[in-house]
Amino acid sequence: MSDRKLPRLLQTPAVLLLLVWMLIPLGMTLYFSFIRYVLNSLRRPEWTTPSFSNWRGFGNYEFVLNSKDFLFAIQNSLFIVCSILFLTVILGVLIAVLINKTFPGQGIVRVLLISPFFVMPAVNAVLWINMILDPVLGLQGIAVGGINELIDGLKDAPLVGWFFGMWPELQPISFRATQTSAYAVIIMVTWQWTPFAVLIFMTSLQSEDQQQKEAAVLDGANTWSQFRFLTLPHLARPIAIVVMIQAIFHLSLYAEIEIVSRGNGNKNLPYLIGEFANNNIGAASATGIFAVILANIVAIFLLRMIGKTLME
Amino acid sequence: MAIVAKTSRFGKYGRPTLAWVVGLLFFFPIFWMVLTSFKTDADAVKPEHLIFFKPTFDNYINMTENYDYWRFAKNSVITAVMATVFTLFVGIPCAYAMAFNPSRATKDVLMWMLSTKMLPAAAVLYPMTFITKTAGLFDTHFLIILVLSLINMPIVIWMLFTYFKEIPKDIIEAGQMDGANTWGEIKEILIPLAWGGIASTALLCFIFCWNEAYWTVRLTTTDAATLSKLIEGNRAPEGLFFGRLSAVSAAAVGPIVVLGWFCQKQLVQGLTFGAVK
Amino acid sequence: MGRIVLKNVTKTFGETQVIPPLDLTIEDGEFAVFVGPSGCGKSTLLRMIAGLEDLTSGAIEIEGEDATEVPPAKRGLAMVFQSYALYPHMSVRKNIGFPLRMAKMEQSEIDERVETAAKSLNLMDYLDRKPADLSGGQRQRVAIGRAIVREPEAFLFDEPLSNLDAALRVGMRLEIGELHERLKTTMVYVTHDQVEAMTMANKIVVLRAGVIEQVGSPLELYHKPRNVFVAGFIGSPKMNIFSGPEAEKLDAATIGIRPEHIGVSMTDGLWKGRVGVAEHLGSDTFIHVHDTGLADMITVRITGDIAVKHGDTIYLTPQPDQIHKFDDEGLRN
Repeated sequence: MSDRKLPRLLQTPAVLLLLVWMLIPLGMTLYFSFIRYVLNSLRRPEWTTPSFSNWRGFGNYEFVLNSKDFLFAIQNSLFIVCSILFLTVILGVLIAVLINKTFPGQGIVRVLLISPFFVMPAVNAVLWINMILDPVLGLQGIAVGGINELIDGLKDAPLVGWFFGMWPELQPISFRATQTSAYAVIIMVTWQWTPFAVLIFMTSLQSEDQQQKEAAVLDGANTWSQFRFLTLPHLARPIAIVVMIQAIFHLSLYAEIEIVSRGNGNKNLPYLIGEFANNNIGAASATGIFAVILANIVAIFLLRMIGKTLME
Repeated sequence: MAIVAKTSRFGKYGRPTLAWVVGLLFFFPIFWMVLTSFKTDADAVKPEHLIFFKPTFDNYINMTENYDYWRFAKNSVITAVMATVFTLFVGIPCAYAMAFNPSRATKDVLMWMLSTKMLPAAAVLYPMTFITKTAGLFDTHFLIILVLSLINMPIVIWMLFTYFKEIPKDIIEAGQMDGANTWGEIKEILIPLAWGGIASTALLCFIFCWNEAYWTVRLTTTDAATLSKLIEGNRAPEGLFFGRLSAVSAAAVGPIVVLGWFCQKQLVQGLTFGAVK
Repeated sequence: MGRIVLKNVTKTFGETQVIPPLDLTIEDGEFAVFVGPSGCGKSTLLRMIAGLEDLTSGAIEIEGEDATEVPPAKRGLAMVFQSYALYPHMSVRKNIGFPLRMAKMEQSEIDERVETAAKSLNLMDYLDRKPADLSGGQRQRVAIGRAIVREPEAFLFDEPLSNLDAALRVGMRLEIGELHERLKTTMVYVTHDQVEAMTMANKIVVLRAGVIEQVGSPLELYHKPRNVFVAGFIGSPKMNIFSGPEAEKLDAATIGIRPEHIGVSMTDGLWKGRVGVAEHLGSDTFIHVHDTGLADMITVRITGDIAVKHGDTIYLTPQPDQIHKFDDEGLRN
């Protein structure tokens, strides 16, 4: 019916825009991934312009698969995303339950809590890695230095000096090594996204059926049982949403990794692509295709699984 | 909750205290950034000036005088506002169609849209740079607005969709019976009814646009460069210029955090993506 | 003005056929009621007339013109929804005036018409309120007001009273009936409540699983139900329907007798049974009789009060001319 077609047509601008936005670059990436294409090459200058005559077949893919960074980047991507998901959900539930009941200043605490979510990812990374986590100049370094100094002073104290004399000197942790910088990324992203989880869980907690809780109290359920058997099941759906939204955002995590890692070996898939793209566009594109495949696998699992409950 | 009226000691003192501690801990890094922005670069790394120092506005003055802060800020405002407007302009009709005239493919289309957000931007950076430079769009407001719209469109459409679905279909149908055409339905019924949801969607979209730092950094040089580009340019090597860095960061983050505070209510609703009641 | 003709109309949702080919004519000025159990397709049929639901095949004519492809807004029909579907963000005045505004009518004309409608519906004091501040009955009236200001070819009602409580429902029933008397406009009314159908309709259309079981005036349906389904559906309390030797005696596969057509005696009669529950309404008494050997339970309706109690033995005698006989296929003999 004519009147029904027009509303359906209204989808087309958005769908077309996204289709173009996805397909054109994807098509070019696909093309580049099958040819030899580098930005600078003194030996083979013909490789610096994309052309079918530089066809390499699956060569770029083999190159990427054989590079030791690739597997590591995938593992690291998953490690980082899963850790963040785990931490934000746990912290989110705990904090949401903590601040759900009214108390003096609840509004202010909520404002304080929500703030990290608005911080630009680049600022987040710069702020944490430099001013807070830096082993010398950051708060961590200053704190460790302060404690060491304090203990040093106490070593000469009468009576208790021997006790402190046995204490080792504390070493600040450097968050710029390969693995520790992954921890740094996890810490800063968790800081930024826990508020998101808290807010969602809090909204959900407010809709919890109070009569059900009262019935549970009458049935003799203690606080823990109420939480375990009423609150937690009630939170299942919001947890699914938190996991899904965050997975969407964190799979393409880039700014934090780039700022924290600076070539120390810590990388996720997007960052590896960025590294290749400094010169070897062919390899970067092949990695990109792998990333697209990975994203689709996750999308199928996650969106299908969770999407179903969300559509109701 | 009459029957659980007895409040434990923890409930009366412990819970508020713990809640405040958690809140302050989460806010601390932002507070620290603002505090450091009033220190000189030298003071910022000295343990003895950790808390006690002579506050100075030099960093902010320096930032506006030598780093052209206002131009970046202006670009951020222009691109984020325009991108939000454009996204809603395209997104509202789309979400309307999906919510009230769904077909069997609607769910798949929505899921596909969301999945485009998972694509690694880095994979298409090179083609994007190539295309935009060829088309002469590189470093233009138009390009940044378009890109910001596109990366936020899936989330925006999804959020709007969940809000629109809350509206009883009867009301839209009543509009049809009363002689409203499609445009009339959207203008007279849908938008007024979903106003709260649209506002929170717009806010969230604006925030995501403002904070975007991948494309805005890589597809601009000067003309359309936003605040994230300013941060990028001031990301000095470790430990140097903490004061300056803090000032730039605070100035980039400040407006959006304050906006977030004022619109907290709508945002909380928006952040749940309409999927939690 | 508002003659509605459905020609060979069908509707399928995916694989399931909700409406098999169906023909129906609703004459101008008629009050037609679609009645049937839930899921019988009556609402779908109404929505197809409204244009809110596409036809899978067939055609709809309104006032002699093919309206199959005409969008709902242009069919000249007004609809009252079960949920009222008022616009929550508009005042009563704006709600009622909305269709006129959409028709690009002059503001002064709109005001005038809204006032007239509001007066006739007793809504004058509420014109500036929002729907949320109104009671169920008032909302219902606003929905009707929104429908009448347009002076449509026909009114469509989709179970408009089912969200009201019992007392209000009776009142609104009368109001809608009066409205029809006054306007003489075609009305198509969907309900699952056979009492509403009986009291309001000129023409009742009984539907089951998308198929029209019978079309007729209320009394036709009451006195001459075409089949067992209609017999059981129309009338309250329900007709007693059973088969067995008693039916065979009358050369029928199944017979039915309405509760009000059975005589009662404590001493003798055709059938003997034991009183189960007796419901005393004052004006009437409904007696549920068990152990008659005819059916699990026979319901009897006696005018006035009668002193029976649980467990009493009771004798029943049907009025012979009021027995409905049905054949093997359930059709009226």
